[in-house]
Amino acid sequence: MIPFPLERIYLDEKAEKDWVTEKILQGFSHLSVERVRGKRELIKKFLSFHDPLEVGKKHLLITHDYGRRVKPCPGTSNHICCGYYVINPMTNCPMDCSYCVLQEYLNNPFLTLYSNLDDLIEEIGRFLSNHEENFIRLGTGELSDSLALESIFPVSQILIPFFAERKRAILELKTKSCSVDSILHLDHKERTVVSWSLNPSRIIEEEERGTASLEERLEAAQKCQAKGYPLGFHFDPIIFDREWEREYQETIRSLFKLIDPKRVIWISLGGFRYPPKLKGLAEERFPKTRIFLGELFPGKDGKFRYFKEIRIEMYQKMVKWLREVSPHLFIYLCMESREVWKAVFGWAPESSNHLNHLFEEQVKKFLDR
Amino acid sequence: MKSIEKIPISEVDLSDETFSVNFLPDLQSLCASIREIGMIQPVLLRRKEGGYQIISGYRRIRVLKELGISEVFARIFDENGKDDLQLFSFTLHENMTTRGFNTVEIALALHKLIHLFRVEPPEVIQTYLPLLRLEPNEKILNTYLSLAQMEDAVKEYVLSEAVSRSNIRKLANFLPEDRTILIPFLSSLKLGENRLREILNLLDEIARRDRSRVGEIVRHPELRAILSRRELTPSQKTEEVKRILLELRYPRLMEIEKTFERERKDLNLPPNISLFHSPHFEGKEWRIELRFETLEQYRHALFFLSQLAEEKKFVALIKEGVEQKP
Repeated sequence: MIPFPLERIYLDEKAEKDWVTEKILQGFSHLSVERVRGKRELIKKFLSFHDPLEVGKKHLLITHDYGRRVKPCPGTSNHICCGYYVINPMTNCPMDCSYCVLQEYLNNPFLTLYSNLDDLIEEIGRFLSNHEENFIRLGTGELSDSLALESIFPVSQILIPFFAERKRAILELKTKSCSVDSILHLDHKERTVVSWSLNPSRIIEEEERGTASLEERLEAAQKCQAKGYPLGFHFDPIIFDREWEREYQETIRSLFKLIDPKRVIWISLGGFRYPPKLKGLAEERFPKTRIFLGELFPGKDGKFRYFKEIRIEMYQKMVKWLREVSPHLFIYLCMESREVWKAVFGWAPESSNHLNHLFEEQVKKFLDR
Repeated sequence: MKSIEKIPISEVDLSDETFSVNFLPDLQSLCASIREIGMIQPVLLRRKEGGYQIISGYRRIRVLKELGISEVFARIFDENGKDDLQLFSFTLHENMTTRGFNTVEIALALHKLIHLFRVEPPEVIQTYLPLLRLEPNEKILNTYLSLAQMEDAVKEYVLSEAVSRSNIRKLANFLPEDRTILIPFLSSLKLGENRLREILNLLDEIARRDRSRVGEIVRHPELRAILSRRELTPSQKTEEVKRILLELRYPRLMEIEKTFERERKDLNLPPNISLFHSPHFEGKEWRIELRFETLEQYRHALFFLSQLAEEKKFVALIKEGVEQKP
């Protein structure tokens, strides 16, 4: 289900004849479709609105993307990243989280689906052939939610069988939705990880507009577990406030009431962080948000993060609570310094490559079980 | 346009402020000018039952009255000649080509356009903001509309301190009761544009985080104590106020900063050597700065630094870093 009902569809003439376009339009016969040539004029029009991002969530553009759509995850400088690759079959997210970095990252405010999916599959195929010596993790959740639009844009239903045949690659679908029904029947061969961003219910209600509730996410995860999918969970962004300890412990308890830790391939932890421009933008769009009220300071990469001692405290406690559930959980930190890794785990990956290697080991271990 | 007539001031209704946007007008210089050369520009009046209504020229008529002059040159509009909005436009045009408006008067003018003369906001944005030499932008309109509704003390503060639009927006976020407490507090400090922004941000963020009120924070005993210290200049008070607000806003950082200061002091560094921690204690890097004028001072400083490496307290600081004491 799309969180905010669509009001209009823009169809780029390049995309008119694609089978994907036909499929998308079938679902919206009640909406008017405006033919456009490119997106430049459309962007101009949207930017004149008081809140282009809000309006953009209700407007859909179907077009083509001829640029590179498989890229290394942008990560961040001076920090350890995990060597992840991102696939971008769409841009912008139908959900509306107050902390979402896309608010300042994308210049195009409307939901954009690239209907030249066959080109994308070809590109992924080429990319994997060129990187056969490496074990590659790729995901579609960077510039959108991986599953929230699945009911109208069946990209995961194409990617899952494609990755099922790959030996040196694994796909991750990251979501805050509960839209899993369309992928449950697929033969994934454990080559697709379905993962959820998790936060306590209060944070979801206050800061993650249009997303599924914690219970809905966990029930969806349970459905995927039943179908044998490896599961991932991302406690990211962790929000530090007076209630955080009680609420995150409760969230972890809720998670493992429904999920078998043996079916969890990885868990990431990431403290809330944001690029400098996001605060003004988000506080204007979400006047009630309280996430920027922590002790957050600019780091070496220019992004604001919680004061280092706070981050270490958060991660240490989260790791302790998770390890109490199962000492075998594979837990990693997202975009953190070696110093923080060391303080939390007593060791740190030598480099991003080293961390990527650890992921490869983990995947092998997981599949060999 | 009607011809100019001489009208007895006693027939002008000075209490009718339909077209007035005056706020704290500077009458002294106008008074001096009229006394010197008389009134050059006739005022605009509209005939109404029993007298005249002022369209433009409130300040001039008040000055003439104060000077004991009994008549005023005026252009007269008939009672039913033009509608109120047209006449209000005259006064806006006339003022913009002569004295101009101050920030509060612009706010009052925009407020009247929307709430009294019923002009739709999009038209105000497109037509009247450019007339008032402002960008046609909804955010700007809303900023001025919020100012128009604030208390007179806030308006006076905005004028006297030339408060910027972004700071007006911040003031608008506070409740009227809080602003009433806040303005005397701000007035007792020496705040430029940036300092004011910092102080307002700190107050706003502490209040939102703690779900408390800005008025309560301003009543914090430590803040009140600073304001009552007569030996401090307004600038010194401002720095002290900022320090306390920073401690309230960033308690953990400020606690470690204090620990670092204590440990740095214990090292007994000479005055020409300074030790700095990494920004916000994020990295492990340290920085030492030395200043000298002569070779001898330079040698002394280097000697001190080489000895410092053996100093237990220094070694502990570098190895263990600054840690928050429970």
